[in-house]
Amino acid sequence: MDYDLIIIGAGPAGYVAAIRAGQAGLKTAVIEKKHVGGMCLNWGCIPSKAMLESAKYFSRLGMAGDFGVEGLDPKKLTFSWEKGVKRSERIVRRLTKGVEYLLKKNNVETITGTASVEAADTVVVDKRKLTTKNIIIATGSYPRPLKFKVGDESRIINLENMFSMKEIPQKLLVVGEGPVSAEVSQMLALIGKDVTLLKTANRVFPALDDYLNAYISRRLDSLKIKTLEGTGGYDSINLDEYEGIVNCMPRKGIKPTGALKAGESESFYVTDENFMTSVQGVYAVGDVNGKSIYAHAASAQALAAVNHILGITETMNTERVPLTLYTDPEIAQIGKTEQQLAAEEIDFKVNEFPLSANGKALTEAQPEGILRIISEPKYGEVLGVQIISHNATDLISEAAAYMAVESTVWDVAHTMHAHPTISEVFLEAGSDAVGKPVHKA
Amino acid sequence: MRYIFKFPDIGEGLTEGIIIEWYVDKGNAVKVGQPLVKMETDKVVTDIPAPREGVIAARYGKVGETIHVGETLVEIEIAGEAAAASGTEAPVPEAEMVEEKGAGVVGTLEVASNNAYLPASDEGTEPKPAAATAATAGRKVLATPVARAMARDINIDINLVTGTGPAGRVMKSDIQNYHSSAAPAAARTAPATPDGVRELVEIRPMSQIRKSIAKNMLRSKQSTAHMTLFEEPEVSALVEARSRYREEYKKEDISLTYLPFIIKAVVAALKRHPELNSEMDFEKGNIIYKNYYNIGIAVSTEDGLVVPVIRNADKLTVKELSKAVAEIAVKARDRKLTLDDMKDGTFTITNYGALGGWFGVPVINYPQVGILGIGRINQQPVVADGEIRVGNVMPLSLSVDHRMVDGAEATEFLNDVAAGVADPLSLIMRQ
Repeated sequence: MDYDLIIIGAGPAGYVAAIRAGQAGLKTAVIEKKHVGGMCLNWGCIPSKAMLESAKYFSRLGMAGDFGVEGLDPKKLTFSWEKGVKRSERIVRRLTKGVEYLLKKNNVETITGTASVEAADTVVVDKRKLTTKNIIIATGSYPRPLKFKVGDESRIINLENMFSMKEIPQKLLVVGEGPVSAEVSQMLALIGKDVTLLKTANRVFPALDDYLNAYISRRLDSLKIKTLEGTGGYDSINLDEYEGIVNCMPRKGIKPTGALKAGESESFYVTDENFMTSVQGVYAVGDVNGKSIYAHAASAQALAAVNHILGITETMNTERVPLTLYTDPEIAQIGKTEQQLAAEEIDFKVNEFPLSANGKALTEAQPEGILRIISEPKYGEVLGVQIISHNATDLISEAAAYMAVESTVWDVAHTMHAHPTISEVFLEAGSDAVGKPVHKA
Repeated sequence: MRYIFKFPDIGEGLTEGIIIEWYVDKGNAVKVGQPLVKMETDKVVTDIPAPREGVIAARYGKVGETIHVGETLVEIEIAGEAAAASGTEAPVPEAEMVEEKGAGVVGTLEVASNNAYLPASDEGTEPKPAAATAATAGRKVLATPVARAMARDINIDINLVTGTGPAGRVMKSDIQNYHSSAAPAAARTAPATPDGVRELVEIRPMSQIRKSIAKNMLRSKQSTAHMTLFEEPEVSALVEARSRYREEYKKEDISLTYLPFIIKAVVAALKRHPELNSEMDFEKGNIIYKNYYNIGIAVSTEDGLVVPVIRNADKLTVKELSKAVAEIAVKARDRKLTLDDMKDGTFTITNYGALGGWFGVPVINYPQVGILGIGRINQQPVVADGEIRVGNVMPLSLSVDHRMVDGAEATEFLNDVAAGVADPLSLIMRQ
């Protein structure tokens, strides 16, 4: 055997698996056809967040005068997509270098090329045959094609090319569902684009609580993003109106070619709780198994798969994956939704605290938002947390920690929070849950 | 906030207690650990201390009334706290109190006589029956807040539950699994004989006490390297001394037995061999030598054997020891022993000779390292100065933890005890 482990794909699933395997002393190779870091670093999480930050920065400059900044004429501000992209590229370079260094340092061999899986122990990269004890497929996903004919296909924008474009046209149709469609729509609206969102599902994000979905709809309205319902068909939509059509359709796993068949559905690999496919020793982690679209879930799955190869079985709790939307303000959720609990006939109560009553949020002029804690009434266990706040994606980690140790609302209420911080909303909602809110009428 | 203090489950399957005396009244300020009420349970009469500092806001139950576990005893108003709920407060101090060292087990005797088996346990002293396994003694098990709340709610000793979470943390699902696996046990019935007259076997749930004894016995046997030595001192002088002073003691209403002499002999020998009055902390690599001599005495009661402790036995005279022995015997019989009466022993004596026993192989009262078994004094031929005469022989059986005590040390210790009981005058002269 040439290797203990061959990993196909060097995105947030593959490179994390590779580093962990290297640390554990496995003879490991990772095969990547494009760039180390995968979708997340090169075209997804990081560039999109960099551009979103540019967009937020741009939109907030309108308030500069309120903050005491003089000499800026908001009417004269313009946005250069190209310069924003340059900044994002610098960040990406720095992060991918870091990953490359870590792979090297942990004795992981990085092979550039396209892999095909021929057997449970055989991977072929550009006609070179490699043998291995285990295989982790971490090839990621790509968006499904649009469900209608576009005519001039050069108008189609995918995330893979969006962040290398020099310019973005003014009038845009964003097509899809899920967090990416909401994030992209808002980002484009914040830099002054004329955005229409064509929803391909009833709810923007099926996994989110109805409360958050309703909020997202309201927020799209307030940003003057028109929404079209595509669920009834696409005939009535006049595509000629739009200079660009952004494809944010649900994604589909990228399955490597080769002779091996390993329990695949049409779009994804089917895996067990240890992320193993139907073939012993062949794992599929990240987007390609269809369990989650999140990079953090992909990384966690990758660690679990490597652990399983090492003989360490720690079943990953998939209910405690934080869901994050990098919208403006950000939205985050962990645990169960009200609708899930109602369907499971589990007793629960919801305690809320708005950011409009939080000192730090007001000083930052970011008072839009709310924290919601869903708890079980008998022991007070925290079952779910939902946050709308400009820093919700950071705040959710506190909730994740509470849930990781099965905390109760008493623990939330008894945890001292620094003042002034946005995180104080936890203290307030926790205290509300135990009947002792201080700053609530 | 208002802290609602419920009569805690002090383990061993006790479900109720009778109020003997209230120490506090409504409006009284109390400190943590201050006794609130004297309660009598099946096993002990014990003071229930206040779990929190505050003012008594309400008191439930009159003297003579029975209170069940889980029923409210008092409500304590605690100043300046944000939240209240008895269900989620920290465990009450009773539970902590009993994790003190020395509240362990006493040995069971595998007696080589017709009194085949004498279980012994200081069961009344251990409110959390299996809490103090060797691994967990003295520390709280890791558990999530929900798991703790749930365990309290459904009366599960969380220390008995194996955790499957990170670092062995007890999770909610562990409590649920433990609960569902424990529940159906009582429902089993045994098959009847063909004629239906009498069942061939009878299946009864193990009492908490029996479980506690079983666990403690195993712990002793599994944690220590048992070794037992025997000796047969000729104790005619002791027999004579006792009969000479017996009447005199009787005038003061004191019953003079051999036990006070044996205690004196043991204490004198312990002073010469401090290894037998010690404890091994193997994990930390320490030996804890104890400069006090608290001698546990196995006492038989209707409920089973209990092992009250005679404190500072080295400072007591034969007369005082006689009184102390009589006192604990009466207390044990009247079920008046308190937790304090039974903790902190440093060495144990078990006198199965009083029941006619001869030699035994006593099980060490872990974490102590020695236990002395006393058999009945036998008249038998002895050889002295080349002649056979009728002697009085006292069978002694000494079990030691061989990890701590070497064979030579144990032999010398037993020889010292034997010499002491053979020559009672030496117990005074060599003190």
